[in-house]
Amino acid sequence: MHIAKLIVKEILHRKTHFLLGLVAVAAAVALVVAFVTTAAAGNRETARLMLKTGFNLRIIPADADMNRFLINGFSDRTMPAGYLDTMARQEGFSYNHLLASLQQKIAWRGMEVILTGLAPEVCPPDRKKPPMVFEVKRGTAYMGSVLAEALDIKKGDAIDVNGTMLEIVQCLSPSGTLDDIRIQCHIADAQTILNLPGRINEIQAVDCLCFVPTDDPLAILKDELARVLPEAQVIQIARIAEARNQQRRMVQSYLAFIMAAVIVVAGAWIGLLAMLNVRQRQSEIGIMRAIGYRADYIAALLLGKAVLMGLVGALIGFTVGSALAVVFGPDIFKVTAKALKTDYALLLWSLIAAPAFAAVASFIPVMRAVAQDPADTLRKE
Amino acid sequence: MLRLENVTKTYRTRNGTFNALDDVSLHIEAGEFAVIRGASGCGKTTLLMTFAGMLRPTRGTVLFGDRDLYRMGSAERACFRAQNLGFVFQMFHLVPYLSIAENVLLPAAAAGLADPGTRAAELIDKLGLASRRHHDPTQLSAGEKQRTAVARAMLNEPRVILADEPTGNLDPDNARAVLGHLAEYHKGGGTVVIVTHGPEAAQFADKIIHLNAGRIDSNP
Ligand SMILES: Nc1ncnc2c1ncn2[C@@H]1O[C@H](COP(=O)(O)OP(=O)(O)O)[C@@H](O)[C@H]1O
Ligand SMILES: [Mg+2]
Repeated sequence: MHIAKLIVKEILHRKTHFLLGLVAVAAAVALVVAFVTTAAAGNRETARLMLKTGFNLRIIPADADMNRFLINGFSDRTMPAGYLDTMARQEGFSYNHLLASLQQKIAWRGMEVILTGLAPEVCPPDRKKPPMVFEVKRGTAYMGSVLAEALDIKKGDAIDVNGTMLEIVQCLSPSGTLDDIRIQCHIADAQTILNLPGRINEIQAVDCLCFVPTDDPLAILKDELARVLPEAQVIQIARIAEARNQQRRMVQSYLAFIMAAVIVVAGAWIGLLAMLNVRQRQSEIGIMRAIGYRADYIAALLLGKAVLMGLVGALIGFTVGSALAVVFGPDIFKVTAKALKTDYALLLWSLIAAPAFAAVASFIPVMRAVAQDPADTLRKE
Repeated sequence: MLRLENVTKTYRTRNGTFNALDDVSLHIEAGEFAVIRGASGCGKTTLLMTFAGMLRPTRGTVLFGDRDLYRMGSAERACFRAQNLGFVFQMFHLVPYLSIAENVLLPAAAAGLADPGTRAAELIDKLGLASRRHHDPTQLSAGEKQRTAVARAMLNEPRVILADEPTGNLDPDNARAVLGHLAEYHKGGGTVVIVTHGPEAAQFADKIIHLNAGRIDSNP
């Protein structure tokens, strides 16, 4: 009888044993596949985009005086408002929010005021993200708390700012920041008031990715943007990106640890099952040795079962793991969700690695059983 | 044909070493029906396994014809067993996941038999197992199990059948039937060696050897 037929018959005879082994292999493969698929999705996108994700950038005019920019919190120079559209349409660049603004310090009713014009927030068309800031309609304004109090301005009042009428839709509560001395209005109103038609002085780009594999994605982002936005410079808000990157690394090493633990447990489990199996099969092993089957044939018979367990476990594990990754992955890895898809190269790897793994885990019990003196089992009365 | 020359088998135990076989010399001629008798623990199984090339003696030589079994490598010895020997054990040792027919066919691949199916079918008929052909070993009575083991031992038409207490787990009727089949095989020219502590096999024997505490007992 062919050795494969013997293996299959034994498996069918001791189904529970095989199923218990299968569960271990399938669970380990599923976990690895789910992890690698999601990580690969992350890496694939990261590779194409960049190695770190979620840069928050401030794009300001190239000729801005950095000293004053940092002191004031905004640039004293302007750039074309069309840059917003250019960035939004830029190939090889991805973002979650683009916020364009035009800010300038003006004197108004005897006070120093930061007039802030906000453009409607730009989001990628396929992404439904809640807006980051409130949207200001034309002809309306939000009044900072310090100004509102000092000048006794209330909701519903109409104010005249250098000839432009704005209706106050809200007086903001105190924030302890520059917002308290801001008049925030629509960007077009600000352009009119400041007589800077078609100009802005900052674009904030939130969660930016670049589409070139590199170790220094920021440099690439800067290059890309410098090309299409010649009058601009790019400043990274460093802390946020670094924190995210660390968090990502932490999650990855934690998952790798869990994965290693599961593989060790699965290996021990399969080894234990192999031990129980060969113990049950002592009589069979003994008689086959007596009849003239060589030790290597017996070893192949016993290890063949482990290999088959690995093959079937790999198929099940791959299916389950891929399904888990595709179903739950997008919730976990929000940034890279789009790139999540079944990776059939992993199936090939599973079909090689899982049988090898099961065979290695079963190796010691099997070899001990084969090395055992068949005379010992056969003499039993 | 089968010859032991000054064979000693020493086992190492917790209480030191002891000789399960102590300087045993004997030979069995081709076509002989030999019964080796002795009390439990006197070394019968040890002797049989030594004959079979499955237990290397501590001292002495085991010859099959003019071949020294323990000069062969283990793979060569396995091949030798597949070609020349058949086994019947007290505990049957049927493979639990194979049907009766498949158990009978088990030696075929090891012995490289050309048309084992026909031979197996003949043996199954001859041993009265035709209706059991597709059953599992667990569905069989002890007598049927041992007849299956006998059929398996005969599949490769061995020159020698070695049987260790083949009737030890059988009632008298079944014991007689199994011994009858071995006797018939012997009549057909085969060599049979049975080791047993019971008296049942004696009536078929050409030669009875008594074993006592690992030594041949010439006046039992
Ligand atoms: N592997 C072993 N290690 C130690 N002692 C053994 C071993 N096998 C058998 N013996 C001892 O050798 C003696 C002969 O055993 P055995 O050949 O099985 O006797 P029998 O078949 O006549 O009952 C017994 O006392 C038995 O306990
Ligand atoms: Mg015995």
